[in-house]
Amino acid sequence: MDDGFDPQLGGSPIARLVDAFHRLPGIGPKSAQRLAYYILRAPEQEARDLAEALIEVKQSVVLCSRCQNVTDRDPCRVCADTSRDRTVICVVEEPLDVVAIDRTGGFRGLYHVLHGVISPSDGVGPEDLKINELLARIRDFDQDVAEVIVATNPNLEGEATSMYLARLLRPLGLKVTRLARGLPAGADLEYADDVTLGRAMEFRQEA
Amino acid sequence: MPGRAPRVTKTEAIVLRYRRLGEADRIVTLLTPHRGKVDVVAKGVLRSRSRLAGHLEPLTLLEVVLAHGRSMDVVTQAQAVESFGPIHNDLDRLSAAMYFLELADRLTVEHAEAEAVYRLLHVALTRLARGDGQQVVSRTFELGLLEATGFRPELTVCLGCGQPVGADRASWSAVEGGVYCAACAAKRDDVFVIDPTVLRVLRAYQSQPYEEAGRIRLSDDLAARLEGVMHSVMHAVAERELRSARFVSASRRARVLAEAYEAEQGDEANEAGEVEASAEV
Repeated sequence: MDDGFDPQLGGSPIARLVDAFHRLPGIGPKSAQRLAYYILRAPEQEARDLAEALIEVKQSVVLCSRCQNVTDRDPCRVCADTSRDRTVICVVEEPLDVVAIDRTGGFRGLYHVLHGVISPSDGVGPEDLKINELLARIRDFDQDVAEVIVATNPNLEGEATSMYLARLLRPLGLKVTRLARGLPAGADLEYADDVTLGRAMEFRQEA
Repeated sequence: MPGRAPRVTKTEAIVLRYRRLGEADRIVTLLTPHRGKVDVVAKGVLRSRSRLAGHLEPLTLLEVVLAHGRSMDVVTQAQAVESFGPIHNDLDRLSAAMYFLELADRLTVEHAEAEAVYRLLHVALTRLARGDGQQVVSRTFELGLLEATGFRPELTVCLGCGQPVGADRASWSAVEGGVYCAACAAKRDDVFVIDPTVLRVLRAYQSQPYEEAGRIRLSDDLAARLEGVMHSVMHAVAERELRSARFVSASRRARVLAEAYEAEQGDEANEAGEVEASAEV
């Protein structure tokens, strides 16, 4: 992947760095060049800090043995926090979803990260997700849990995953809920799809 | 390209799947009646205010306007016509629908006419949505797909010698897609004895009109065996593992477990009720 790069740089340390940046998500060839030349001009300490941060994140970040979120200590801060509500677990697809939900401040329970979603077209089945880990932690650690909130994305894969989880969890005597679905902030009714608009109507609230 | 009107086409399509393209775009795979399977670009659909997003979900039948692009067409308008709502509320039907989409995807090639497959898929999804039995819908969809793509399984005469085979002693080859008589089966190593009831049901599904076939009552156990036989045929024809088929089976197993648990709970509740009743006496 060296198209768009200066041919004079082929194989040089700069080309290697540009190539490394280019592989990152959302970084095109131009941005990769800009970043590489920024590093080249920056003080050596800055480059060293970046390099160390990169190595450290790979060496010290592990998955929390309870919630499977990425963490530098096990159990993670959320699982170890005794002030949180231990009767409810919110199941999400990815670690970034934990960040998004925690930012709302409206949820004080525990999390569980599946690391994906059931998606046959991408070759991902239930056995590829952290579902067994969820069943095991409810059985062994978090016996106070009464409700599991499935916060998968409101698409086909997310729906399939949430219904599959409900089928596994209800026999354990748990209440299984999923996030409400409706119109996003700033939306336009005229352009809303039928499923979304239908659900918004079905789960309407008193004004 | 300034000064030149973009060439556009309007078509009906069923969304099979999508994959991410860059920051907020998607490549959506559509099955269309006249242009077969096509990959198109949907721009900005990952943004929450996208006007296209909800309409371009898999398992949606839509009217779509495509502008011809250099390598791929670009979606300019999309309006969902049918989103098969009831399928989304039931795991068995949803997993079956995901399996149908994967089959339609695997058994078609890009830009090759696939009207028969499109019609079969539309009919099967409509039947699932209105609540027809998942087994009869799935099995007749599979048999119809096989027929439309030139893989019609031979269920009545031996693939080896051409003689009629009785259901009670038929052997089955998923790779060859049909039955063998005992004598021919003895010479092969890719066959196994097929359950006579499974074969009779498959023959009925293949030869009878859909409405007749739908009246056949299946136990959970028979349904599982029927599913196993047909999944192995589809697997052989698609020449790869069908993950959605495994998910259909996993969902069914989870349902059987959940139902067993509920029955148990019901029994316990009944017993508790009986104890209370006897205490009152």
